[in-house]
Amino acid sequence: MSSPSPIPPPNDRRSSRASSNASQPGPGSSSNATSSLDVASEPSDLLVVGGPPSSPSPLALRASNSPSSKRRKSRVEKIPPDLHLLEYVSPCDSNLVCLICHAPFGKPVRLVCDHYFCRDCLDHAWEAQQDGHKTCPTCRNRVDVDREPLSVPRILENMLDELVVKCPNSRLGCEWSDQRANVQDHVMLYCEYTLVECGSYDCRFPVSQKDFHKGCLHYTVNCEHCHTSLMRRDLEEHQTTACPNKSTSCPHCATEVLRVELKAHIKDVCARAIVPCPGAIVGCTFVAERTEVWLHERSCPMATMAPHFREQQTRLERNEAKLEPLARRVVILEDGLSNITNMLYPANDNASSFPVTNPLDPNNADAFPPAPLVPTPDFRLPPASLHDSLREEVSRIATALTEVEGRASMMIINDGQRFKDELLHTNANINNMRVQLHWLMSTTLQQRTANSASNSTSGRAGSGATASTSAPSGSTTQGAARNRSGAAGPGVTGHSPFRRLSDSTRQDTKL
Amino acid sequence: MFATKRLGKELSKMQSGLPNGIELIKADDFKEWLLDIRVVDANPIYQGEVYRIKFMFSPNYPIEAPEVVFVQDESHPIPYHPHIYSNGIICLDLLDRTGWSPVHNVESVCISLQSMLTGNTKKERPPGDENFVRSNTQRPRDINFVFHDPHV
Repeated sequence: MSSPSPIPPPNDRRSSRASSNASQPGPGSSSNATSSLDVASEPSDLLVVGGPPSSPSPLALRASNSPSSKRRKSRVEKIPPDLHLLEYVSPCDSNLVCLICHAPFGKPVRLVCDHYFCRDCLDHAWEAQQDGHKTCPTCRNRVDVDREPLSVPRILENMLDELVVKCPNSRLGCEWSDQRANVQDHVMLYCEYTLVECGSYDCRFPVSQKDFHKGCLHYTVNCEHCHTSLMRRDLEEHQTTACPNKSTSCPHCATEVLRVELKAHIKDVCARAIVPCPGAIVGCTFVAERTEVWLHERSCPMATMAPHFREQQTRLERNEAKLEPLARRVVILEDGLSNITNMLYPANDNASSFPVTNPLDPNNADAFPPAPLVPTPDFRLPPASLHDSLREEVSRIATALTEVEGRASMMIINDGQRFKDELLHTNANINNMRVQLHWLMSTTLQQRTANSASNSTSGRAGSGATASTSAPSGSTTQGAARNRSGAAGPGVTGHSPFRRLSDSTRQDTKL
Repeated sequence: MFATKRLGKELSKMQSGLPNGIELIKADDFKEWLLDIRVVDANPIYQGEVYRIKFMFSPNYPIEAPEVVFVQDESHPIPYHPHIYSNGIICLDLLDRTGWSPVHNVESVCISLQSMLTGNTKKERPPGDENFVRSNTQRPRDINFVFHDPHV
């Protein structure tokens, strides 16, 4: 029944069972129905439930008053129930289950190999197969598409028809459930929850068949109790089940309370509500109606102690809640402290938890810590390198200085050596001269002692003549000669200088 | 829709009981299920080990085959079998387009895998396993297997 078909006149409900096998009403009967309905509803387009006795029953009117007008005829669409989507009341025999959809057969068909499937499932499965290579999904036998699928035994269809199903509109509130054979008639004719198009001309919302006679309910209204805006259609349901400001009766004690207060009423007030003993938090297992619990409370030691326990509990929780941020702060502060320590003593803090690289340490291969939490290394790097270069400079200067010092002292030593050599040389010369002088003096003294005895008178004239020539020539060695004469010959101090000078001139001429 | 309804039915049936050695681990949606299987018979190759199988369903299930692979974690190795690659991909005609039939279901696939392991006597990987595992980027359903071994 895919196209909008006019509804047949309402038969006796029981007869629908018989007509269900031919689910599509015959063309003849349907045309009859339409004409009779048209005649019946022609006098007035008003929808009157339970009209004059000549008109069809109210049920038929409801089911068919839309097709009565010509414009509606094309727009009312009731969708026939899909057998695959039906909900079965009880689990059915596994022999009646299609192996492809795992549900009771919809329209069962048989293959030559005696395997059964729903017609739809088999078509689905064959869609995926190539033409000419259709096989049985179970045994993979090649299927002759022209002859198969075959019809199934009547008894199988009957068994399927007898399965009890729920109305597909059960979610909307229909409580009908019956044999599967009747479901099509139920949905298409009798179910009050089947959706049909709204009776209003320009409204396209669907409406349940039972509400059709109320006219279009698809406009927005405000609930007079809670001022929620909602569709007129949903207003009644809202007020009976949801509206918070509508009074309702308590399920336990039958007191009338507002729905919004119902929960609080049951939780704290209602005398008949089942509640546990207040001592339950410390282990009392007594659970009864509130009035009985009140009696029990007086004798229950745990109920007496419960408030104290609860107070302690809240205090503990409060303290724990306070403790947590404090602990977090301690961690943060400790982190900060270790960062500061690392910043201050970067060189000797390698063992600390914070990864610091010492840039002056040549053994440390990686220059940077993997992920510094604070940018201490970056901050310290420029002064560190400066420090490094300065240190290098200083050490270079130090070595240069040592070198220069060494060279200078070497030079001084060399020079001193030379001077010492020269001095030694001079000393040797002087010694040599002294020896000569000594020898000359002793010779002169010997001569003089020998001569003084022989010519004491004539010697005076001779010495006077030579004194004028010899005085300037001996002036250079005068000091030395005088020293020598003083040290070597104290015996001759009494002699006059003239006599001595004349003696030395004589010595020179002799050499 | 079709797949959801059918998988829902399978799930409720599996929750009410499964054959020995098969266990449903996770079926939160109708896209991916996890099951554990172990070899019940005394086969020394698979002694004491539990294998985890992942089913991935397309919206066309059961007309289209599900993708079935073994998954590996700390407690679930990939079983040694000449038709199971070490990345968990299974070479079995049942799971291929040509071999799949809509009358199969999750439970029957698990039983097939279980019996495939039970009947195996060779503790080895398929030939060319290393190359396949290294180079394969395809999903199992896009691989064209050549089925040559009628004994499994």
